[in-house]
Amino acid sequence: MTTSATPPAGPPARLPAVRARGLTKVYGSGPSAVEALVDADMDVPAGEFTAIMGPSGSGKSTLMHLLAGLDSVTRGQAFIGDLDITTLDDRELTRLRRDRVGFVFQSFNLLPMFTAEQNIVLPLELAGRPVDRAWFDTLVTTLALGDRLDHRPSELSGGQQQRVAIARALIAKPDVVFADEPTGNLDSRAGAQVLSFLRRSVRELGRTVIMVTHDPSAAAYADRVVLIADGRIAGEISDPTPESVLAGLDALRTLDEVAVP
Amino acid sequence: MIRLALAQMRRSLPRLVSAGIAVAIGTAFVAATLVAGNVITRTTYDSMVASLAQADLVVRGSELTPDTLAAVRATDGVAAADGRVALWTELAAGGQRAYPEVTTRASDPRLEAQQVRSGRLPDAPGEIALPASLADRLDLAVGDEVRTVRTTWDPETGEPSESTESLAVVGLTEDPSGAFARTGGAAVVHPDDAARWYDQEWGGEGLAYDAIVVALEPQADLEAARAALADAAPGTVVQTRDERAQQLTAELTGDTEALTAVVLGFAAIALLVAALVVTNTFQVLVAQRTRTLALLRCVGADKRQVRRSVLVEAALLGAAASAAGIAVGLALAQVTLLVLGNVNPDVPLPTTVPVSAAVLAVPFAVGTVVTLVAALAPARAATRVAPLAALRPADAPVLGTRASRGRLALALLLTVGGGGLLVGGVALSGSEGGVMVGLPVGLLGGALSFVGVLVGALLWIPPVVALAGRLLARTGPSARLAAANTLRNPRRTSATSAALLIGVTLVAMMSTGAASARTTLASEFDAQFPVDVVVRDPNLGATDPSATPQITSDVVSRLAAVEGVEAVAHSRVVTVAWADDEGDLGWEELQVLPPDTARNVLLDPAQADGLADDTVVVTRALAERYGLADGDPVTLAVDGGPGTEVTRDVVVTDFAGALLATPTTLGALGVDLPTNELWLRLAADADTVAVMDDVQEALSDSALQVFGVALERAMFENVIDTLLAIVLGLLAAAVVIALIGVANTLSLSVIERRRESATLRAIGMSRAQLRGSLAVEGMLVAVVGAVLGSALGLVYGWAGTLTVLRALGDVALELPWRELGAVLAVAVAAGLLASVLPARSAVRTSPVEALAVE
Repeated sequence: MTTSATPPAGPPARLPAVRARGLTKVYGSGPSAVEALVDADMDVPAGEFTAIMGPSGSGKSTLMHLLAGLDSVTRGQAFIGDLDITTLDDRELTRLRRDRVGFVFQSFNLLPMFTAEQNIVLPLELAGRPVDRAWFDTLVTTLALGDRLDHRPSELSGGQQQRVAIARALIAKPDVVFADEPTGNLDSRAGAQVLSFLRRSVRELGRTVIMVTHDPSAAAYADRVVLIADGRIAGEISDPTPESVLAGLDALRTLDEVAVP
Repeated sequence: MIRLALAQMRRSLPRLVSAGIAVAIGTAFVAATLVAGNVITRTTYDSMVASLAQADLVVRGSELTPDTLAAVRATDGVAAADGRVALWTELAAGGQRAYPEVTTRASDPRLEAQQVRSGRLPDAPGEIALPASLADRLDLAVGDEVRTVRTTWDPETGEPSESTESLAVVGLTEDPSGAFARTGGAAVVHPDDAARWYDQEWGGEGLAYDAIVVALEPQADLEAARAALADAAPGTVVQTRDERAQQLTAELTGDTEALTAVVLGFAAIALLVAALVVTNTFQVLVAQRTRTLALLRCVGADKRQVRRSVLVEAALLGAAASAAGIAVGLALAQVTLLVLGNVNPDVPLPTTVPVSAAVLAVPFAVGTVVTLVAALAPARAATRVAPLAALRPADAPVLGTRASRGRLALALLLTVGGGGLLVGGVALSGSEGGVMVGLPVGLLGGALSFVGVLVGALLWIPPVVALAGRLLARTGPSARLAAANTLRNPRRTSATSAALLIGVTLVAMMSTGAASARTTLASEFDAQFPVDVVVRDPNLGATDPSATPQITSDVVSRLAAVEGVEAVAHSRVVTVAWADDEGDLGWEELQVLPPDTARNVLLDPAQADGLADDTVVVTRALAERYGLADGDPVTLAVDGGPGTEVTRDVVVTDFAGALLATPTTLGALGVDLPTNELWLRLAADADTVAVMDDVQEALSDSALQVFGVALERAMFENVIDTLLAIVLGLLAAAVVIALIGVANTLSLSVIERRRESATLRAIGMSRAQLRGSLAVEGMLVAVVGAVLGSALGLVYGWAGTLTVLRALGDVALELPWRELGAVLAVAVAAGLLASVLPARSAVRTSPVEALAVE
């Protein structure tokens, strides 16, 4: 367990799935300008489960929006693979979201009029691509959704809905899945289930997941935790446990207190 | 609660505005209709007063003789009095003729209704002043002579004779107040001439006036003079000018009020559709405010207060929309008046809209009440929001989808019962005179079943939308999404579709009825007339071969030159006595044309099949009556001719006349006759009305008679088309309101589905796909309403046509492709258009919003 204020040293074994270089987002202008994120540098290796952690308003959501191409950057670059997504127009971003990025939302955001199966394959339909049945079956088995495919979201529990959402995010075999507080609307048991499914999809299915959370026990499921505070990347914890994450957060707070004159 | 209602309204302003527009259109309709009714009443009132000129009193009675007039003139306070006679005369100048009303020169300028434009009014018998427009038509000026042609009856023998007099035109008049507007202006003559003509016309029965108009001395007391007149002329009624005008106006506007009532009926339909839009809007608003309402309940608002807040909002919306609607209605009426005044300066119209209390109060009350009533159900729904709802996560609101069993039963009862009555109406009208029973029964059945269809809309529109959606869904994910979305709120989709269905059903019904009636009547006419147009010389027959032929080569070339006339055939017509081997068959008209010529102009050339020099074509009806068959010999002899008999073989065809033979046969009958009839064939695509106008214009200075199927058909088609155009115009308001409803529903849904749109964008939906999905959704709702409405309208239109026209014979049920196609095109276009604004706001949604947590 190590904590450091800089990105890991040495070149990664293979090209990172996601990279950030000097990523900066400023809302507003002039005296009322707010720096949500300043000069963030970050590498997310492929096949890793990364958690971005920080207190409310720390800039963790902004970082994820920028990495996923959901929001425009003020400065800096964000790469998915070798593609600089900060230069893409709306059409190219749509294609990016179809092919290379998946999302899991806090409120599940399933379409209420479609069944679980229809929800899962919707991204492929929108892209006009055929469904890879083998991959679909793998996902359904991994996420234990076999007997729920004909149900509509209103007939599913929160945990089941979130598992459907994870299947939807993975169906197009994206380079990276962004999960935004995926356990925020779930009780602790369902939340734990969802997190282990996320982890299994990384370990067994070889996916890359970036999860934003403020819950240390959720972050502990990740391979690595990136800590963020006041719009700056403040540290990193490898092989986290809930205790080590809490300690890291405490260290951040101490740092804050020291920083304040 | 008012403060709350106002705050809620501010938040939902755009939604309310479009619902308000729907109400405003309906209200504007009512206001404009009432104003039009007022204008018509007022205009007739003015024209009544105008025909009495500046008279103070009018004396009326059954026996107003010159003696009465003398007694009136001798009464105290009377400055002048004139008798008014009802008199018409034919005027001829050059080749032109006219038949104007005649009035007498007034003894006092105050009693003269018309003004002199040039020259003067007649001072002596033998003089006449003409309306300037009439003088124009007859090509006359001051100083010219004009002939009167009148038929008079000998008092002794009762024999009619023509009498002609020559009159000097001394002046031209105009009629700015429209006193004689209804008869196109009156010629003014000296009272002596009028009295003499009247005497001649009525065979010396003595002059009787219609009315005596009285002008009083300036200082005379009206009531005293009135009493004195009643004494001086016993048995008469003495009215003031205003009383008389009011009486006449009331008599006349019985019709206007019926017209106003009919138009108000259409306004009611528009308002009904607007009410559906309002109900829909409020239902959605209440659903969207579930959290706010629940919060209110949590902090202590009771159900009554919640209901009141919705109703107060509806009342405010209704009042504002009605006020706007009235303003628009009045403005429209004012613009119409100005335009009409410029286009048609002869008709004395008021220059400003007559605004009465009723014109303002009635539409305002109706618009507000309709909005309030429409909001009742949503207000009740608002009271059902439990305080608990404030604590639940905010999901997209789902409106009730379950339709009650009561609704199903009522809808079935009304639809089946009404349908039964509709069929019964058709069946009843089959018998002789059955229309009078069948029509009311059919109308009742139609109305009931339509109410049933609307009550049941919630039950049967969603499955139809689902079916249409399934078909569309094959085209791609956008369409599939749209189809799924239309079914999320069946109640909302049904109400939106039903609003459009009402207007479209009525439009389709009217179009179908009109098209069927047109075809049915056209085939009726075709069976009665052999050719499009017949021009006949009434004076020239076998009995009177010496008369001057009126059908000259000049006439023929002028007719042939008329655009739309394709062929002109010379024909001769004589009356023949005919007999078969069993005896005399009486007299019939025999048409004489060469076979090729006949075939060229007949509406159905097959009618001349078998026509040859040794045959005579007999129409089927005659052949059946006398038991004649092809090949039977008949003998013919011209009535009033030399009596030569010829025998010919019968050929039975569908000839729409009586008998048809060749010129050779006529020669064999010993009759030599110039052309006394022309048969005209018109181009298939000719504008019959215009062609007939031109034909009559070409014959205006001759005594030739024009008749034929084209004329009759043109008249009927004109009437049908005009009525249809008016009705469709009136229904357009309802359709426009319904389309506003489609746009409103769609944009409400878009707001509701904001997060969903963002999610879709996040998982890879492009802007174009999102836009397309909304366009499909709008089109689906609109097209389902339009298609179902068209189908329903078709059924109603056919049922109506059958009921009304079955007594006439075979009814042709037409499918008005053009109109139905136009309705569908409008629906598709409107659905697309309705999706434009909502789609714009939907695609502006950033995918980031999918991540937001409320």
